[in-house]
Amino acid sequence: MKSKFLALLGSAMLTASVASAGGYQVNLQGQKQIGMGHVGTGLVLDQSSIFFNPGALAHLRQNGIQIGVSALSSKIAFRDASGGISEARTDNPMGTPFQVYASYGPTDSPWRFGIGVYTPYGSTVNWGNAWQGRFGLNELTLKAIYIQPTVSYRFSDKLGIGAGLVINTGSVNLQRSIPLTDANGQEGRIELDGKSKTSIGFNAGVYFQPTEKLSLGVTYRSKVDAKVEGGDVTYRIPTAGPVAAQFTATEFDATLPLPDNITLGIGFRPTENLTVGVDIQRVGWGAYKALQFDFNGKVGGQESSVAQRNYKDSYIYRVGAQYKVSEMLTVRAGGYYDKTPVRTGYLTPETPDADSRSVSAGFTLALSEKVDLDASFSYINKKERTDLADKSSGVAGTFKSVAYIPGVAVNYKF
Amino acid sequence: MKNIFHKFGAATLLSCAFLFSGCEAEFEDEASFSKGELDLSKYVAVGNSLTAGYQDNGLYLEGQVFSYPNILANQFGFVGGGAFVQPLFTPEQRNGSGYLRLTGFTNPTAPATPSPILVPLPANDPNLAVRGLGADGRTPLLTRFSALDKIQNFGVPGIKLADIKQPGYGLNNPQGFNPFFERILPEGSTLTYLQRVSNQEQTFFSAWLGNNDVLGYATSGGFASETINPTNQITETGKFASYYEELINALTAKGAKGIVATIPDVRSVPFFTTVGPTAKPLLAGAIAAANAQGLPITGVSVLTKATASRINVTPASIKSASGGTILLTLTSSAYLSSVGQPTGRYWRELAKGRYPKDEDAAKRDQELKGYLQNFQLDTTRAFGLDPRNPIPSAFVLDDEEQALVATATTSFNNAIKAQAAAKKLALFDAFTFFNSIQSGFSMNGINYSPAFIIGNLFSLDGVHPTPRGYAIIANEMIKAINKQYASTIPTIDVTQFRAVLIP
Repeated sequence: MKSKFLALLGSAMLTASVASAGGYQVNLQGQKQIGMGHVGTGLVLDQSSIFFNPGALAHLRQNGIQIGVSALSSKIAFRDASGGISEARTDNPMGTPFQVYASYGPTDSPWRFGIGVYTPYGSTVNWGNAWQGRFGLNELTLKAIYIQPTVSYRFSDKLGIGAGLVINTGSVNLQRSIPLTDANGQEGRIELDGKSKTSIGFNAGVYFQPTEKLSLGVTYRSKVDAKVEGGDVTYRIPTAGPVAAQFTATEFDATLPLPDNITLGIGFRPTENLTVGVDIQRVGWGAYKALQFDFNGKVGGQESSVAQRNYKDSYIYRVGAQYKVSEMLTVRAGGYYDKTPVRTGYLTPETPDADSRSVSAGFTLALSEKVDLDASFSYINKKERTDLADKSSGVAGTFKSVAYIPGVAVNYKF
Repeated sequence: MKNIFHKFGAATLLSCAFLFSGCEAEFEDEASFSKGELDLSKYVAVGNSLTAGYQDNGLYLEGQVFSYPNILANQFGFVGGGAFVQPLFTPEQRNGSGYLRLTGFTNPTAPATPSPILVPLPANDPNLAVRGLGADGRTPLLTRFSALDKIQNFGVPGIKLADIKQPGYGLNNPQGFNPFFERILPEGSTLTYLQRVSNQEQTFFSAWLGNNDVLGYATSGGFASETINPTNQITETGKFASYYEELINALTAKGAKGIVATIPDVRSVPFFTTVGPTAKPLLAGAIAAANAQGLPITGVSVLTKATASRINVTPASIKSASGGTILLTLTSSAYLSSVGQPTGRYWRELAKGRYPKDEDAAKRDQELKGYLQNFQLDTTRAFGLDPRNPIPSAFVLDDEEQALVATATTSFNNAIKAQAAAKKLALFDAFTFFNSIQSGFSMNGINYSPAFIIGNLFSLDGVHPTPRGYAIIANEMIKAINKQYASTIPTIDVTQFRAVLIP
């Protein structure tokens, strides 16, 4: 009755490794682009080229500033693995990914200087603390903010290049239940909370416009590692000595890769008022092999936890169009298909990812010479996906996700 | 309509553009469940402590509510199942027969490790359902259930298959009786268990009986014979088979379908696997100390079966991860620390259990003298180390005793499986299931194993499951029912049930 008690106690407590986010890229970096399937690498639309293609920035005639925000409502449903009846739904708070871009350059200069602040990665999921998978996850909030000072140079009307330095900052908060019930029937809980250290990457692009009707762009954004050092670990666990001895950690370290992207974009202008864009984007999710937390003590008897992710590189295919109805109104529509990076057996409740389809629409109202108002609405529907989650320490079952994302932006040109 | 929207994102976009907050993620197919060939309008459960919801060495309201029959009935409700009435203790008497609680852990100096402190509810607990002692002077009487004719869960803790035709098994009488059966019978009734569960007009039944026909012998360490603890003897195989057939015939007499379950290998429950590994070094130390004082022993002296014969048990022969076969009971833990000291505590307590009343003190002394004589004991000698004060048989399941248990389990299970096949009943093969989880498994981020307390499956008595363990069993039964009867009864989310409560 005595020995092994300590050793075994630990392993029983925290079996699923501490979880992470899945396909946590956010495709909401400019309201005009959102309205047309998030194409934009081969187009010159506005200051958001700082994100979509720094090489196109110098092709903008006017200086300006753009401020935009989206209101992301995502809903995820879970159903028990085959044979069960229990279901769960997320109660996610509304996400507010935002974009701020500004550029400046003397009117006749081939140089343009800009700065962008945007949120290319992030995830907020709240399953609550009663669902079947609560020992995998209650709630996750993951934020990454990129600040990108940028310079762009126009060689000619046909060719421009640009590059920016990406400065990443962000935070992570992860909460889950611990399968230890105290004498009052209350389950244990752990919370990991940390800010990521500032890290650096870059964004570079080339824009080429061989004819009036055709333009091409290619953009590369480098991988950035979001690194948390000394994040806080807090618990609610039974107070018995042998339990407390298994939960001594107060701090954690972890690294989450924010993968690289290479995007090839094409723009057509069959008529003066119609623009069609196509983008193909490769996301280097293969960099996300495993999520490891290292603790400064024990969590469930372990000093670190490793959850396999084993993502694969994935492709996103986008198409969209805009039509200038009048001097005042431009309308847009588009869509994209985003292949999941999550392999079979690796699904997790943080982002129960699946191949996703998105359709979107939007418009721009030119309120004055200097002020434009953009609005967009995007709908994302991920395929229903059933997975054993046996390789990721996830939660076996069927997941279905949808998201509704209205957004607005104001442009001021000077 | 819903499905169409999902297939055409654009349509959804339009419908949700205005009311997007109302558009939930929906699955393509509604979950659908069916009863298949079954009529679940009246379900009746027959069995022992497992069926009653016994846990933590007692029957109390929480365990009753989370009994596997109640979970099954709950899930039957999704496919047209009827109401299910259990003989629940009232909320005021929710602590029922009393039970063990985990109140903390010892805090010994290293290298010894903490062990759990298990404490029974006090006898004066105000929420017990005990209404005094029975006519035998030792069996606690429990409050009788109020609606006897409505009962559908006939789980009776302690009952053996061999008891089902015993008249007066639930009658309060001086020879002894089963108090859990007594509380679901009319006062003064001499009905047998078989009579009680017959003619219930059930359309579906579960029967999980026979465990105690071998478990009682095992948990008493083989300390049973015609004259000593006769109820703990292993049931004779022929008798088991014929009684089982008679039981199933009664339950299927009116064409009811049902599920039967086999008997797990009792040797793999925490009651037998927890103490051995720690007792090994403890006993080795005591033997070494005795050797140093010139006592040339290689092991401890242990009584075997219900005889005065001693066997020599070496530390190496006790089962642990490193080998060995001999099993020590969970109940031995409190006594093994006295090895090497003169003590007769076990025998005094045994006599006290037989004659608990103060006015029976003389009988109790007589009983104790009987033990000393029959087993040739001298309790002034070093406990365990001196053959004159051996470790009681009740604490040790030795090789010979285990062989008897294994043989009986196999033949009982063959009888059960034969009836299941003959009557085309669903079969939950508990023997195979519990063997398959010996090395543990993981589900919903929780590790499970047969380990005591931390394994999440077994309650504080080391034999009976936790509520979550019962829920896992219920799901296994549902799978077996679905397989046999082409039904699709849903399983339950087992994470909603508790395992051991940790202070």
